[in-house]
Amino acid sequence: MSLLRVENVDKSYGDEEVLHDVSFEMDRQDVEVIVGPSGSGKSTMLRCVNRLTEIDDGAIYLDDEEIHGIDENDLRRRVGMVFQDFNLFAHRTARGNVTLGLTEVLGLSKEEAQAKADDYLGRVGLAEQADSYPAELSGGQKQRVGIARALAMDPELILFDEPTSALDPELIGEVLEVMRDLAEGGMTMLCVTHEMGFARSAASTLTFLDEGRIVERGPPEQLFDTPEHDRTRQFLGELTDLH
Amino acid sequence: MSEIEVRGSTVGEIPGRKRLVVIAVGAVFWTWLLARWAYHNTLLDRLFTALGFPDLVRSELGYRQQEPWLPAAPFEAVAEAILSVQSAFGPLEFLVGWAAWPFELAAFATTTEPALASGAFITVYLTILSMLFGLVIAVPLSVARVYGGPILSGISLVYTELIRGTPLLAQLFFLYFGLPLASFFNGFAFVGEGAIPRASILVAIIGFTINSSAYQSEYIRSALQSVDAGQLTAARAVGLSKLDGIRHVVLPQGLRFAIPGWTNEFVYLIKYSSLASFITVPELFRQARNIGSDTFQFTDIYVIAALFYLALVLTTALAMSKLESAVAIPGLGSSARRD
Repeated sequence: MSLLRVENVDKSYGDEEVLHDVSFEMDRQDVEVIVGPSGSGKSTMLRCVNRLTEIDDGAIYLDDEEIHGIDENDLRRRVGMVFQDFNLFAHRTARGNVTLGLTEVLGLSKEEAQAKADDYLGRVGLAEQADSYPAELSGGQKQRVGIARALAMDPELILFDEPTSALDPELIGEVLEVMRDLAEGGMTMLCVTHEMGFARSAASTLTFLDEGRIVERGPPEQLFDTPEHDRTRQFLGELTDLH
Repeated sequence: MSEIEVRGSTVGEIPGRKRLVVIAVGAVFWTWLLARWAYHNTLLDRLFTALGFPDLVRSELGYRQQEPWLPAAPFEAVAEAILSVQSAFGPLEFLVGWAAWPFELAAFATTTEPALASGAFITVYLTILSMLFGLVIAVPLSVARVYGGPILSGISLVYTELIRGTPLLAQLFFLYFGLPLASFFNGFAFVGEGAIPRASILVAIIGFTINSSAYQSEYIRSALQSVDAGQLTAARAVGLSKLDGIRHVVLPQGLRFAIPGWTNEFVYLIKYSSLASFITVPELFRQARNIGSDTFQFTDIYVIAALFYLALVLTTALAMSKLESAVAIPGLGSSARRD
């Protein structure tokens, strides 16, 4: 039984069709990486899964339950999200960023939430920075707090929306390392990224999305080494050359 | 990241020695004013009497009573000494008159301060209560305006523009004479008794609260709009409802951004509370006007009253800038270094 099943999803912003007939499935512990040129609908696809964006047509199932039948706050508790721009709560410390959802959504006591937050901050290597405010952290540290914040909610699935795109090159490695650890630890992850090294080594399935359609989908080795479509070869070739 | 610090220019940032002078003058003024209020104050007297301490505070001194802690004679003597040499200066004798004027003013002040102090108490009382009640209304108004649907934001918009678009004095007259709230309040036996102030003060508080809530909500609205949209998105993505996201993420940031604008509204209201004099509230300006009518020394009494207002405004600005630094968070709002 698949954890996430996306069936024939369509989405338009006005006249502009962003997603067209997109379907795919993920099992538990899968690491699905979506790649594609900018404007191809990758981020929109991700935001449809936790209903930050609503689909026009089709259906999305989480654990065989259509997501529009789930209370949206409950859905988002079960599906974590990590943002390109981190979106850390600017008025709360690293610890406070993690505890907000724990106390207000999961209903933990303040003490329980703090202990859990410190545990997860330790896991992403930020035990020392628990009392720092976002403005006092580097980009890589901010994104690791963002991951701890999503992780502490015990989600069934985490969405990564270009988690390294806003980072300076020397800070990308620390974030990818945390993501690799998560993947190895069996977390189910749906990632939009341009990090081809990560896609190749950590992804269980790679999807190439272009102009709102899935062009090709399969094991990463297949898409990198023996792609069926010229468009895939061209895109992955360009990106691999760049990186 | 540049290292340029963006600084305000309120009294909170006065440097070095000048700062000490401001603090010393402020300390003398407030020590005297608080002592005067603690000693003779009708509202406090009634409040403490109601609480069972009838002798703690006395009733107010009348409006032409001598300040008991400060005699007028020494100032009068200095003024007379200066004026005694006036005739020797021929055409320049008016300069001697000017030199004597501050001492005449000080002597006059000792006979009017008790009345002005009781007026200042009502001014402060009106302003603080109206600001706080106004804030309680302004927060939901501004949230409705920014995050409400078309109906809620429409209601908020109409309220704000209606109140901001009509004169405060007209609003006070409408409440006091038009409704008329004054006679409504006077129908209750407890109004003007114990800790409950007289009807005109109640009407003024209601009028200023309504008026101030509209202005405050505009300051808070623009502060809320300056909170990055990603903040609420992130709160929603964790599973918080929209209202919880606003409460726990947007408001704590937005209200910090709103402090400078809120300070502005606070100092405006201190001065605009003088309009309460037109509905018979014996606040600072009305006391001054009454003394002026009685003595015909309008210039002198308005100069003294102006000094009172100045002291209240500077104190407020200083306190608010202290509040702003006390609640400041690294990287957030006006304390932030701009990239």
